[in-house]
Amino acid sequence: MLARSLVLVGLGLFTLAFAEGRVINILDPGTAYNREVSRLLVWVMWFAAFVSIVVIGALIYTVVKFRKRPGQEGEPPQIHGNDRLEVWWTAIPLVIVLVIFGLTAQSLVRLSKPPLDAMKIEVTGHQFWWDFNYPELGIRNSNELIVPVGKPVHLVVTSVDVIHSFWAASLVGKQDAIPGVKINLSFTPEKEGNYYGQCAELCGASHSNMRFRVLVVSQEQFDRFVAGAKNFQPPALADANTQKGETLFQQNCASCHTVKGTASQGKIGPDLSFYGNRTTLGSGIWEGKDKDALLEAWIRNSPGVKPGSKMPPFPGLKDEDVKAIASYLNGLKIEGLDFSKLPKF
Amino acid sequence: MAVHAPAKPSGSPGFGALVWDMMTTSDHKKVGLIYLVAAFFFFGLAGLMALLIRFQLAIPNNTLVVGDAYNQLLTLHGATMLLYFIIPAGLNGFGNFMLPLMLGERDVALPRINAFAAWLFLFSGLVIYASLFFGGGPDVGWTFYWPLSAKQGPGSDFMMVGVLMLGVSSLLGSANFAATVYNLRAKGMSLWKMPIFAWSIFATSLLSLFALAGITAASLLVLLDRKLGLTLFNADIGGDPVLYQQFFWFYSHPAVYIMLLPYLGIAAEVASTFARKPIFGYRAMVFAQLGIALVGFLVWAHHMFTVGESLLFQLVFVFFTVLVAVPTGVKIFNLLGTLWGGQLDFKTPLLFVLGFMFNFLLGGITGVMLAVAPFDYAVHDTYFVVGHFHNVLMAGSGFLAFAGLYYWWPKITGRLYDERFGRLHFWFFLVGYLLTFMPQYVLGFLGMPRRYASYPDGNYLWNELNFVSTIGAVLLTIGGIFWVIGMVQSFMRGKRAPDNPWGGSTLEWATSSPPPFYNFAVRFPTRFDSERPLYDWPKLGLKPEPVDLRDIHLPAPTAWPFWTALGLFISGIGVALPWTSGGVLNGWLLVGIPTFLYSLFRWAGRLEYDHPVEHHTVTGKSNAWMGMAWFIVSEIALFGILIAGYLYLRLTGNATPPEERPALWLALLNTFFLVSSSFTVHYAHHDLRAGKPSPFRFGLLLSIILGATFFIFQVYEFANFGQHVSYQEQLWAAAFFIIVGLHGAHVVIGGTGLSLAYYQALKGKLDSHNHGTLEGASMYWHLVDAVWLFIVTIFYLW
Repeated sequence: MLARSLVLVGLGLFTLAFAEGRVINILDPGTAYNREVSRLLVWVMWFAAFVSIVVIGALIYTVVKFRKRPGQEGEPPQIHGNDRLEVWWTAIPLVIVLVIFGLTAQSLVRLSKPPLDAMKIEVTGHQFWWDFNYPELGIRNSNELIVPVGKPVHLVVTSVDVIHSFWAASLVGKQDAIPGVKINLSFTPEKEGNYYGQCAELCGASHSNMRFRVLVVSQEQFDRFVAGAKNFQPPALADANTQKGETLFQQNCASCHTVKGTASQGKIGPDLSFYGNRTTLGSGIWEGKDKDALLEAWIRNSPGVKPGSKMPPFPGLKDEDVKAIASYLNGLKIEGLDFSKLPKF
Repeated sequence: MAVHAPAKPSGSPGFGALVWDMMTTSDHKKVGLIYLVAAFFFFGLAGLMALLIRFQLAIPNNTLVVGDAYNQLLTLHGATMLLYFIIPAGLNGFGNFMLPLMLGERDVALPRINAFAAWLFLFSGLVIYASLFFGGGPDVGWTFYWPLSAKQGPGSDFMMVGVLMLGVSSLLGSANFAATVYNLRAKGMSLWKMPIFAWSIFATSLLSLFALAGITAASLLVLLDRKLGLTLFNADIGGDPVLYQQFFWFYSHPAVYIMLLPYLGIAAEVASTFARKPIFGYRAMVFAQLGIALVGFLVWAHHMFTVGESLLFQLVFVFFTVLVAVPTGVKIFNLLGTLWGGQLDFKTPLLFVLGFMFNFLLGGITGVMLAVAPFDYAVHDTYFVVGHFHNVLMAGSGFLAFAGLYYWWPKITGRLYDERFGRLHFWFFLVGYLLTFMPQYVLGFLGMPRRYASYPDGNYLWNELNFVSTIGAVLLTIGGIFWVIGMVQSFMRGKRAPDNPWGGSTLEWATSSPPPFYNFAVRFPTRFDSERPLYDWPKLGLKPEPVDLRDIHLPAPTAWPFWTALGLFISGIGVALPWTSGGVLNGWLLVGIPTFLYSLFRWAGRLEYDHPVEHHTVTGKSNAWMGMAWFIVSEIALFGILIAGYLYLRLTGNATPPEERPALWLALLNTFFLVSSSFTVHYAHHDLRAGKPSPFRFGLLLSIILGATFFIFQVYEFANFGQHVSYQEQLWAAAFFIIVGLHGAHVVIGGTGLSLAYYQALKGKLDSHNHGTLEGASMYWHLVDAVWLFIVTIFYLW
């Protein structure tokens, strides 16, 4: 009961929406999936309330009524059971669970039908970051999944190393990313937003730092992103410092990272082609001011700020080298995109 | 030993004498104490780990324990609580101490096997913790999912070895319980007149015997992958990573009921005693228990709703998962019925039972919620799940473990405890529990995943709820401190407990507190009208009659089971470490294996009783027969589950045999050897019972030689096949090496069993009365034979 009421109070608070920062809510009515789950839960709650009131009521009554009084003599009636009661309290729960099963089955069937004309995106989990590949569009991005609002998406989830689980809590249920196995997950986002995503299967030292974002953007922004990404050419290098950054990047980082349109074509780490458009650093860990503040520390010694990060430290880089690489990365941008105003879920 | 002088030496024995007494004992009460002391110690240890986890999560972006260190912490917390507290405390701890007392018996069916199992249990835990001295603890979660468990550091080796050893211990313990319930009950006590706790232990043992194979298969395959690269799960060669989870949960869901059923038995005993009423709906309780055990087998995949299984598969498991709520509900309703109309005496045990009922209701409801698969997609692996399983395990089984501890404390220690500390313990636990875990349900709704070492600042309510949860953990710790104070105080200054302080009606209350080593110096009436003989007998005017203590015979003390387990412990560390260095086995193996074998043979050379004893069993079958029969169930399950995995991979077209297969003619020749040896061992046993020692010994020796020949041919075949086909690249070959190799290991174990019998025969310790070793070994040998016929069919002929 307490859990129940706490949840209800919690949900009530959301709708007031006075909360600052990000409100993650698995019952956010913004997707059909969440509405389906909420509908099921309401049913289960009614049954739960019924059972709880009966049992807790009986328990309280028993504790109050049948406590041993001082000076009480003799023994209570020695009742060994009641077959009629046994039948009732087997049958009623049986009916309840069968109804719940029926409702669940109905929902499962409904949810298992994939939407038509969905955009296919391959989601691949790595220790400890996410890769998103759009095979139909020929573009790739890491750690931030950019999708247009109102269009169904069809994710094909897998992993290259250990089992991860792809979970954007306010959008849709999670799906495990299993090496060698491809699992489908579909949903249609209905409102624009910056949605929080996380790995939900223990995958090693930085399991809790394997986050991502789903950026649900307007069709206009999405088209702009696709056009910019398809034939991405890094913007002209602004100054000598940034040029030095590019050189250093190619010497130190290119074997793992790709920057589209340059000689850096490594596939081991995240694709950094549009790093300047990212809202986060380090696989969804740092956003906003932290993103810029931690970039240099990240380049210098990634495992130092993210335990178990597979990116090696670069003790050989001098301070100005790191600054140069940072400035190069921040300049890798598609013009005309702005994700900073998206509401956070 | 025969009880010639029941008076034990007065005064407290020295520490050394105490240790030696424990090492050599086969007394079920002392064995139970080994489990209880270890289990509650592990509870404290894992509880402190939980506190550390909560300190880490008290504030966002905390850096107290992060990364692999945090993962080690959560793995050890989970594994210790589940495998070393909640399972052994109820089943093996209270089970060993109380079961023979409740059945009005003097010991369990297989007392020395039982002592061995207890030591092996303790040593398996030490193996897992030994990893801390060899490069770090396991950091893959107590579920050790493949392939993470195959890739992380050496802690996983230790955990796999520990889990395998624990499995063996668990099976031996369960086979012993099943045999005890079948074979040893006071005259006149039918199964339906057993105390409900005895039923619980029985049902739990069956669950354990049928299900444990799952975790054995899972941990064995992870270990083989880590050591040899031998696995069925590698998708690159057609294997299925999800198969690991099928194996794992095939055990680990029924294990949830292994963690619950003994405690439901305790709840019923406590409710009945403190309400001064019989159990309400005794038969319904038993059927519900068996129903839970049965349906509990069909729900495992509800842990796997997010691995992409088919719609039908999910529907089936949703159905059985919601269904299991029905018998579980019946248990709760009958508990209520037992309390209803009674004279409730609110002593600590009853408080914990009431706390359990309230909390378990919440846990049951959230359990049904989790069965609703679409909701599970959302909250799977979140704090909602963490809240749920602590609800049923901590405030469920855990509370009842304490109910049992307070209930039987006077019987076990002979001292009363101070109710004030008991009450403080209870209330701090209840409030602390609610504060810790209710916010976690909400965190699940707000999207916080479990097993997270840290969380960011700024997610709505995450900071607040986590902080409240940590405060709850502190209250739990304070409750724990009151518990320890209460126990220590009772131990030091507690009043002497009378035989029956609560007015209990089952037979453990019919002897002194603590019970003498021979349990009862009386012969009980043979009329059992209900599960409450001590209530019924005075009304019927029946009384137990004293017996002459000289007629009581108990097994002789021996330290060999302890040394045998110690040998396995040393070998276990050796198996976990790299096996060889410079072509030589590592030192642990070099010391451990000989220690194990030497102790095992010495154990076989020591007869169970110093005096010839006649055994009476309820079924007429010997205890060795009964114990081995139940043990064999678990072996069939182990081969069954691995073969099911192979069939699945083969039928889906992933495990196709290579061009060049192991030779059929060799297999047929080997079949001939093995089948012949089954006949020779059968006739040897026959000759023994007919009193013909010479042909008997020859027949036994011949069986051993045939078995050895089989084994040598098989080694040759393995070497030969291994040179042609790489099991790391060919899935069928991997399945072949795993399953046929496991059978080979069973040939070695069975052969060792026969050799033990042969050794006994040479020493003249085997006769038509004492032939338990031979009886067990020959049954096992037939099993090995039968499994081989199966293997020939599915690996050589097909």
